[in-house]
Amino acid sequence: MKASFARWSYPVLAGVLLLVVWQLLVSGLAVPPYVMPGPLAIGRALIDERAALLHSTWITMSIALAALCLAVVSGLLLAVLFVQSRALGQALFPYAVVMQVTPVVAIAPLLIIWTGDAHVALLICAWLVAFFPILSNTTLGLRSADAHLLSLFRLYRATRWQTLWYLQLPAATPYFLGGLRISGGLSLVGAVVAEFVAGTGGTRSGLASRILDAGYRLAIPEMFAALLLISACGLVIFGSLSLISHLALRRWHESAMPREL
Amino acid sequence: MHAETKSPADDARPALRLHGLSKRYGSAAPVLAGIDLDIAPHSFVSLLGPSGCGKSTLLRLVAGLTAPSGGGIEWPRGAGRDARVSFVFQEPTLMPWATAARNVALPLRLQGLTAREARARATEALAAVGLAGAADAYPRELSGGMKMRVSIARALVTQPELLLMDEPFAALDEITRQKLSDDLLRLWQAQRFTTLFVTHSVFESVFLAQRILVMAPRPGRISADLAVGEPYPRTPAYRTSAPYAEHSRRASDALAATLRDAEVAA
Repeated sequence: MKASFARWSYPVLAGVLLLVVWQLLVSGLAVPPYVMPGPLAIGRALIDERAALLHSTWITMSIALAALCLAVVSGLLLAVLFVQSRALGQALFPYAVVMQVTPVVAIAPLLIIWTGDAHVALLICAWLVAFFPILSNTTLGLRSADAHLLSLFRLYRATRWQTLWYLQLPAATPYFLGGLRISGGLSLVGAVVAEFVAGTGGTRSGLASRILDAGYRLAIPEMFAALLLISACGLVIFGSLSLISHLALRRWHESAMPREL
Repeated sequence: MHAETKSPADDARPALRLHGLSKRYGSAAPVLAGIDLDIAPHSFVSLLGPSGCGKSTLLRLVAGLTAPSGGGIEWPRGAGRDARVSFVFQEPTLMPWATAARNVALPLRLQGLTAREARARATEALAAVGLAGAADAYPRELSGGMKMRVSIARALVTQPELLLMDEPFAALDEITRQKLSDDLLRLWQAQRFTTLFVTHSVFESVFLAQRILVMAPRPGRISADLAVGEPYPRTPAYRTSAPYAEHSRRASDALAATLRDAEVAA
């Protein structure tokens, strides 16, 4: 009870303290808002620009989530294929690594030329960075099924499909969920970074464009407000995925067990 | 009707016949060499030997989990590949993400039974091993002995003709092991599956089996074939009886002779 109170109250207290010191410094030293805005100025910008900022948040969040969904589907399917056919896995895995190590910033301009639509390009960029952790973790998990259990499935003449469904996929679940949490953060990073490079226009601009645009106008508090919203998106994604992971594993997996220290 | 189709000659046929069975991995020395063996139906046979004598390999060969390098396995009673064979490993080998009932139901689900049918039979099998109340518990919530009981229930849920057990009680404490031994014999007497039980414990062999096959290493072979003619049910009193001590002494001597020969050969 005491531990959980400390877990919540200490970070909140530290945060409030930081904001107060920040505001006092900015006000006390009379730092102009275009150099360093205080928390109050940022809050005011959040409220004043709420319609545009919320809309941009929605755009960025929807790209990140769509990319994550694509990454989950493609990562899972490819991992299953890799494990079903070792030859296919060996043939394609190096190219998955190439996709992973090539910086998304470098691919974005090319994607815009190809797709002609900035939003599709953003989606592909975010998908490219989000997809690899799911693929590699799930592949590892599918291959980590207990050897004795595999023997048992052979003894009972299980089909490939049965072995996949009853043994390999459940065994891979903790690995997949670990990959999912990494990919959730990466999909947001991908969506934001790609938007910086690719840019979007008019009513469909996301938070990255909002930051760039505010920068041109020297509306520094608005830049901070957009930044704050990006962080909030990341926290929401991470928190939701952690919750999903906990709910899926709490009955059986070691990672979800309460421990006595 | 049924009695007529069973001639005395049929009854004499072994459940399992191994002839010249051998196994080697690559060019290494054979793990098993020329095993000839008949296993009587409904019998309880123990394979006793030091580690590395190929007794687990023999079990895997019989289960069809690995292919022999030479010789073969016959099922004279006609079951062949379709024989209902079950396997209990040294570890309980349960799926941690599934409840006890779903673990036990697994072989039936793999055979295509519906979840409802499989669940009903799994519940019965769990009750038979004394775990009626643990159907919805996850493996991590169970003790080592209870997990092994779930593993045995899973093996018996298919009503096997042949039960293969690979040192199933080796990782358990003495008291749990004795209780599980008692229960295994009770189940065996009730259901009469043929049992091949691998162990390195002389006393476990003598308590459980009608026949003890002592195995020698390098290459794995059967070095002694001892009968334990004591009647069943074998009660805890049997563990302290004179015949038990006598059988234990004979089995220990056979095992010691085997190890001596192995050292001379090495």
